[in-house]
Amino acid sequence: MTVPAGRRITRRNMLARGITHCEIFDARGSANRTMLGTSGVTRRKVLRTLAVLGGLGIVGSMPGAASVARAQGHLANLGPEEPVESTMKRLFGGRPIGDGASSITIDLPLIAENGAVVPVTVEWSGPMAPQRYVKSIYIVSDKNRRPLNAKFNLTPAVGLAYVGTNLRLGESTDVRAVIEMNDGTLLQAKRAVKVTVGGCGG
Amino acid sequence: MADIGRVRIRIPTSIKAGDVVKVRVLVIHPMEIVERKDGKPVDKNYHFINHVVVSYLDKEIAQFETTQSISENPFFAFAVKATEPGVLRVTFLDTHGGKYEGTADIKFS
Amino acid sequence: MLRGRVLTGIGLVLGGALVSGCAQRESQASGADLPSAPWVSRTIPEAAGTIAVQPDGARRALRYSGWTAEDFGRFRTYAYTETKSMVPLGTTPLPTVAGNAQNGRRLFLDRNRGPCTGCHLVRGEDVWPAGNVGPDLSSYGDRDAPPEYTFKLIYDSRHIFPESVMPPWGAAGIFTAPEIMDLVAFLATQKGPLPAEKDLERDPGTRGKPAGFGDNLDPTNNPAVVRAESADDLWAEKGPSGKACVDCHAGGPLASMKGVATRYPRYVPAHRRVMSIEDLLTVHGPATTGRPLLEESADNLELTVRIKMASNGMPVRLDLDLPENRAAFERGRASFFKRVGQRNHACADCHTVESGRGAGKFLGGRLLADVEQGLTRHFPTWRTSQADVWDMRKRMQWCMTPLGANMLAADSVEYAELELYLASFDQGKPISVPGIRH
Repeated sequence: MTVPAGRRITRRNMLARGITHCEIFDARGSANRTMLGTSGVTRRKVLRTLAVLGGLGIVGSMPGAASVARAQGHLANLGPEEPVESTMKRLFGGRPIGDGASSITIDLPLIAENGAVVPVTVEWSGPMAPQRYVKSIYIVSDKNRRPLNAKFNLTPAVGLAYVGTNLRLGESTDVRAVIEMNDGTLLQAKRAVKVTVGGCGG
Repeated sequence: MADIGRVRIRIPTSIKAGDVVKVRVLVIHPMEIVERKDGKPVDKNYHFINHVVVSYLDKEIAQFETTQSISENPFFAFAVKATEPGVLRVTFLDTHGGKYEGTADIKFS
Repeated sequence: MLRGRVLTGIGLVLGGALVSGCAQRESQASGADLPSAPWVSRTIPEAAGTIAVQPDGARRALRYSGWTAEDFGRFRTYAYTETKSMVPLGTTPLPTVAGNAQNGRRLFLDRNRGPCTGCHLVRGEDVWPAGNVGPDLSSYGDRDAPPEYTFKLIYDSRHIFPESVMPPWGAAGIFTAPEIMDLVAFLATQKGPLPAEKDLERDPGTRGKPAGFGDNLDPTNNPAVVRAESADDLWAEKGPSGKACVDCHAGGPLASMKGVATRYPRYVPAHRRVMSIEDLLTVHGPATTGRPLLEESADNLELTVRIKMASNGMPVRLDLDLPENRAAFERGRASFFKRVGQRNHACADCHTVESGRGAGKFLGGRLLADVEQGLTRHFPTWRTSQADVWDMRKRMQWCMTPLGANMLAADSVEYAELELYLASFDQGKPISVPGIRH
């Protein structure tokens, strides 16, 4: 059953498909800024159009913004490979970082079956109020070559300082969550995860 | 990977006004990692999502700066305080100028 | 893609069968004995099991990107035409030079050899991740075993334990005799009071079970679910012949394929062999829409996932009473227990719970699955470590490399019949595709 972009999948259909309590919205993103921007673009249509545009010599020769974008993934923009102490210094200077162990919950498996996908969630137990709220949550993996995994910037409108993602880890490591309040206060908690390497299962 | 940019968003089925709901979102994307040659990183324009924007009722409520140390086909979870019925929009931007978007309708039941 | 060697073997059998053709239907036993009709393999190049001979005579295996190119041609494979026996029982005189325990420890942990830690725990905080398929050797030195005994045990444990699942490390040429002496010297150091265990996860006996990767059918969790949707578009698109799947299978895969996957793998009379959905697509595609749908191609995998999704929640319903399926089941079971490769392993070594075998134990960091739980109903599965969908055949082909055995073509009948045997343990259990695993 294909669902047109933006159309809601009904609960009954989803129960039939074994999905129960959540609604899932199917959104076809535009494949590329140079491509058709409409929703409903499918892989096969993209492939065909790419072939056409390629034939016309259009793909890859977009001026202006594209050339700026071209540099974004270069090493110079990635930040340095560095030990975590340098990352922490670069991000927070010498600012004091309080122990957030009692207010920050990090959900992380004890053992990760591989380093490619390690699910993590971070939640701060306090309220998100207009006067005092979590402005940013940093997730840092100590042993990664570039320890900063992501920085989540929040506003009070999110209602809860809660984020989750899947991390790439190079090896067994501590994973730390640093919470920055809107008034600049910093709190940190960390959890250790062991990454299983290789094996006959691949 | 020709299905780059497909977005899926998941929100709870029944939401009441004022609920803080947890949202799950996934986008298909290679999140290219740094190659090494002779132990040194190769310089090129790596293709990965480096920016995520979450907006609700046409206002930006959260924004993530992401790196190659987020898994391929990135997954994110976050919260939204559902104050009014309206559109939740998640936009992904990558280093090659790609922009991918998904939306979910927040409705009260 | 023709595999001449196999073709010849099957041709001979078929020639005999044609003579007694009419008798086949009455004599169910002889019809069921026939392995299969000549099969032309239709896989992507990486999945064909090809061995290329270089100008200098060296042999290189063509496998998937990133897999070893090593040729294990001198070791037994699963091929029904295989003539090689398993690694012969080996023996060699005890070296006179004493072993070096430090080098022994390095060899014990070396991931390019065993590693021995795959099955055996030893001392050291750096020992991660050790398994427990074999006994904990942390106090082996306390036994004061004669070096000749330990040497023989490692060189070829079958001398002492005939039913051992431990590979014959010396006889198979994985460790040299002096290296085994180093291992013997290292094991002698595993003695005395054990240091306190600081980390419960280090010891496989106290390690927690893997948490898994959550809801496999949630598209915000499993990219394979999102990817499979491409199959819906392919279904409606006209192929080279001018026809589309939808011309005969109206409504798309989810609507038109309900229940189909519950009966596979099965003997398909038109092709005279057991086939999975993947196998069937390689012949059905060209015959209808004109699409090749080569085994292990992205189109084949996506269509297979989508077709199986149409049966999600429905119990597997193989027809094991059909004589051809029954005969294939028996051949598949024989494969399951057949020792192959340099490591001299059978599937049963890791995937059954009998004494000395591995199911439910850790092999290195991996928890080994028990075949009786049913291991196929979540295939094809997303593999997080590969960021890709793997079907059962690719999974089997992968197993070959640590076993030191050359892989057969993905669509080979040997794998299909082994898959049928495995799938018999999923009988009555609900399909849930695509899975999500490490």
